[in-house]
Amino acid sequence: MTTLREENRGRARKMGLIFFPAFDWAITPTHPEREERLLYTKDQIFEEGLMDLPEVEEYKPRLAELKDIARVHFCIPSVESLVTEAHLIAAGSTLVLADAYMKKDITNAFALVRPPGHHSMRVAHGNRGFCNVNNEAIMVEYIRRKYGIRRVAIIDTDVHHGDGTQEIFYHDPDVLFISFHQDGRTLYPGSGFVDEQGGPKAIGRTINIPLPPETPDEGILYVLEELVLPILKDFRPQLVVNSAGQDNHYTDPLANMRFSAQGYAKLNEMLAPDIAVLEGGYAIETALPYVDCGIILAMAGLDYSNVREPDFVPGKFTMSRTMEANIVGTVEYLQGIWEARDELTETAVERAGPFFRRRKNIFYDTDGIQEKQTESVKMCPDKSCPGYMTIDTDAVRGYGMSDSGFGVFVPLFACKRCREEAREEYEAHKTDSRYNYVYFQDKNSDNFRLYSTRMHNERVY
Amino acid sequence: MLIGIDVGGTTTDAVLIDEGKVINTSKVPTDHDHLLECLMSALDEIVRDISPKKIERVVLSTTLITNLIAEGKADPVALIIEPGPGMNPEGYTLGSEVHIIRGAIDFRGREIQALDERQVQNAAAKISERGYRKVAVVSKFGQRNHTHEETMREIVQRTSPDLQVEMGHQASGRLNFPRRSATAMLKVAAQDKYREFADQITKAVSSRNIEAPIYILKADGGTLPLATSVEYPVETIFSGPAASTMGVLALTPPGQTSVVVDIGGTTTDLALILDGVPLMSSEGAKVNSYLTHIRAFAVKSVALGGDSRVRASGDEVTLGPERAGPAYCLGGPEPTPTDAMRLLNMIAIGERVLAEEAMANLGKDLGCSAGEAAQKVVDAAVEKLLSEINGMFLAWELEPAYRVWEILQKEKIRPQNVVGVGGGSLGLVPLVAERLSARGIIPENATVANAIGAAVARPTMTLTFRADTERGFYTVAEDGTTGEIRDRKFGQKEAESMAKKLIVELAGKMGIKEYASEAVVTHSEVFNMVRGWSTSGRILDVSMQIPAGLIPEWTGGGRV
Repeated sequence: MTTLREENRGRARKMGLIFFPAFDWAITPTHPEREERLLYTKDQIFEEGLMDLPEVEEYKPRLAELKDIARVHFCIPSVESLVTEAHLIAAGSTLVLADAYMKKDITNAFALVRPPGHHSMRVAHGNRGFCNVNNEAIMVEYIRRKYGIRRVAIIDTDVHHGDGTQEIFYHDPDVLFISFHQDGRTLYPGSGFVDEQGGPKAIGRTINIPLPPETPDEGILYVLEELVLPILKDFRPQLVVNSAGQDNHYTDPLANMRFSAQGYAKLNEMLAPDIAVLEGGYAIETALPYVDCGIILAMAGLDYSNVREPDFVPGKFTMSRTMEANIVGTVEYLQGIWEARDELTETAVERAGPFFRRRKNIFYDTDGIQEKQTESVKMCPDKSCPGYMTIDTDAVRGYGMSDSGFGVFVPLFACKRCREEAREEYEAHKTDSRYNYVYFQDKNSDNFRLYSTRMHNERVY
Repeated sequence: MLIGIDVGGTTTDAVLIDEGKVINTSKVPTDHDHLLECLMSALDEIVRDISPKKIERVVLSTTLITNLIAEGKADPVALIIEPGPGMNPEGYTLGSEVHIIRGAIDFRGREIQALDERQVQNAAAKISERGYRKVAVVSKFGQRNHTHEETMREIVQRTSPDLQVEMGHQASGRLNFPRRSATAMLKVAAQDKYREFADQITKAVSSRNIEAPIYILKADGGTLPLATSVEYPVETIFSGPAASTMGVLALTPPGQTSVVVDIGGTTTDLALILDGVPLMSSEGAKVNSYLTHIRAFAVKSVALGGDSRVRASGDEVTLGPERAGPAYCLGGPEPTPTDAMRLLNMIAIGERVLAEEAMANLGKDLGCSAGEAAQKVVDAAVEKLLSEINGMFLAWELEPAYRVWEILQKEKIRPQNVVGVGGGSLGLVPLVAERLSARGIIPENATVANAIGAAVARPTMTLTFRADTERGFYTVAEDGTTGEIRDRKFGQKEAESMAKKLIVELAGKMGIKEYASEAVVTHSEVFNMVRGWSTSGRILDVSMQIPAGLIPEWTGGGRV
């Protein structure tokens, strides 16, 4: 009965949808990430009857396997200790949709699930920015492993910088990560500046677009049209993922942007992601019910023009000249980086020497953990090999307990030499008493190991 | 003594039950133009030698509304909707006379845009001018705040007093605006003709001096007093498959998991009983092209029956979907599954010689003997039923879930029994059962299991309660009841005891008060509403129900 009229059917397609509001899971009872978050969204999308539409196929979530998590994260002390069932279900939902999409049962998909994940980095000691494990990264690595695709683009449309996803793929030239967000000088996590452009072998494959507070639809859609879409056209990804936060909305209590439900729907229509995964968004009554309705309709190829917040009128927000100049300047600068990415990569690799090293301080706001990392990436002479990487991590929890670990990571498309050297590094560190845990993550052979130097036992995922 | 009558598509079946035993049955052909006569003649046949005083309960299941709607004979209904923000309302296909009104209510029942009363007035005038006598007025989220629907009704009645008006929240209070609109339209479309039929039945039954209460069977396997059922006319749709399923429930041991296989001439209806509870269709029945909120069993109708046309396609056979006429062995024109089963001695009806002839003819096309052809037909039929049954279990396993515990607790379940009922040839049942590693059961009185199911079904009801303590009100989805909540400390315990009180009231309205105590809380959930960093109120959801089940008077039980 809710079928479209025949004449409007031209653009119709089938989108896969998992709605998993986790009505029985919260970080704490009054935390923004609580049971109530998607309650009104459920009311709206059920009342609309969206699940009855022939263009929408609703799927049931499943739990992700621990190995799916281990493929992406170095969880300290172990995967089991870091994730709850809710995390496995949120991650598992993206895998159900990934399978349906890759098997062409659906034309695109939206995982409208919580808890979120885009602040989770490769090394995970606890919860950062409401996230324990990175749903998009888990899905992307699952798809690349299972279906043999290589080039993936992840567009992070959350108001906060997707620092976790950026970090996981920073040295991977085959994963293009683009994040637009409210300027890190004014918002958590305080990163995502234009000079974060990817590791030496992947310059330009990380693109950060900090936007001034109060940027409205016009500004975000300008960035999309002038910068994001042309880069995507050049990059020719085999899969486009929208890390779909909804907190750019003008009513979001934790941020200061001016994006609308119409803007979000339009963004998804223009970006046409293959799979979108919900991230943040905490205006649970004033934004989410309308934004989600708009995104679902847009992704299903249906008319979303009637979706609007109660107080919204077109033209409600406009850009000042200064704001416009700021955004245009950022876009032009990043266009230049993208154009010059190959030369920049060459120079950066040369400058790095045999190994690229950097030190990082990472703060876990939710769990109060302070982590120190040293990352070291082999600048492999084989141009198509991203090089193996080691990470030395030491985290101090609020009460002074310290957890240290050493991780060795082999990328999916690593050369034979790097795979062998990495394995040697892992074996050598098993007897290194400076670390509690030694971790081996070989994406090339899909082999993940965790060695406890105290217990002298190895766990294979 | 209990009486059950099921007016089915082909036959009208009746049973008389005394102390847990079927003591009389009857079967008469159904004449769709004279349903009342069929029903009464089936009734007369079983009560011929019985004193009317001994009859305690009469339950009817009828195709009246199913046919009325399928044949387009229900009254035309216009629709006035207030869709508010969301999907483009032009995309709905809810009939040919739909008027879209400006105004909106949100998910918490707050008015977010005033109702455009002038538009309603104009719509009502136009609807009346076009000759409609009935109209449904429906607001999106109208079940959370009735005022716009009530204002619309008043304006329509003032503008065109000849129009009969139905409000969305009274047809259904569940979420899903398009389904609620369709349900409201069907309700008002069927109501007058249903009432007329109910009156005739009452008269006819009392003319036999039967004073027992009369009930009607609903699609969810529950019964309602005939007198109050006029308020719920569309709930009686698809009661036939519900009757068969209830029959199986009555004839198998309690608490088991069974597949109900009702094989007819052209179609086979499949239903599931999981741990003793018939599986419901998750959102509601589909009536013609309309998705509705009518609660119904999840029945899968497969285009395969004893009289299905059998054709050779290469060296394979295809079955159905059309009916070939009666089986060849019963004088029909073409080979059918019945002929195959007859030849293989799985059933004993019809002429074996004719069955052999039919299969030999089919064998010629397939390049095999008559016996081999018959085996191929039976194998194909079993495969088809198996794949449908497995599909139903899979669909149940894959039903979406919205809570962590729901994902964790749902296990794979497999049937213990495959139960064959109905008038069709039941030879396939043991074969299907064997393939599912289940027990094949063809109960005594299998051909009138539907009438038995009707006779012993108890009333069903649901109550969906939501309280919003911040806004200070509650709603009941089933009948649109709303009320105030003043207590700021109103919590889960209070919500559950209020729901229990409300279900007694609702049961009273439905005329089944004595059953209210059987209702159980099936779901209870609290959402703390946090605004800023403190709790500003709670949303409380409580669901209660009396699930489909048997009346205590039925002691026949399953003795398998």
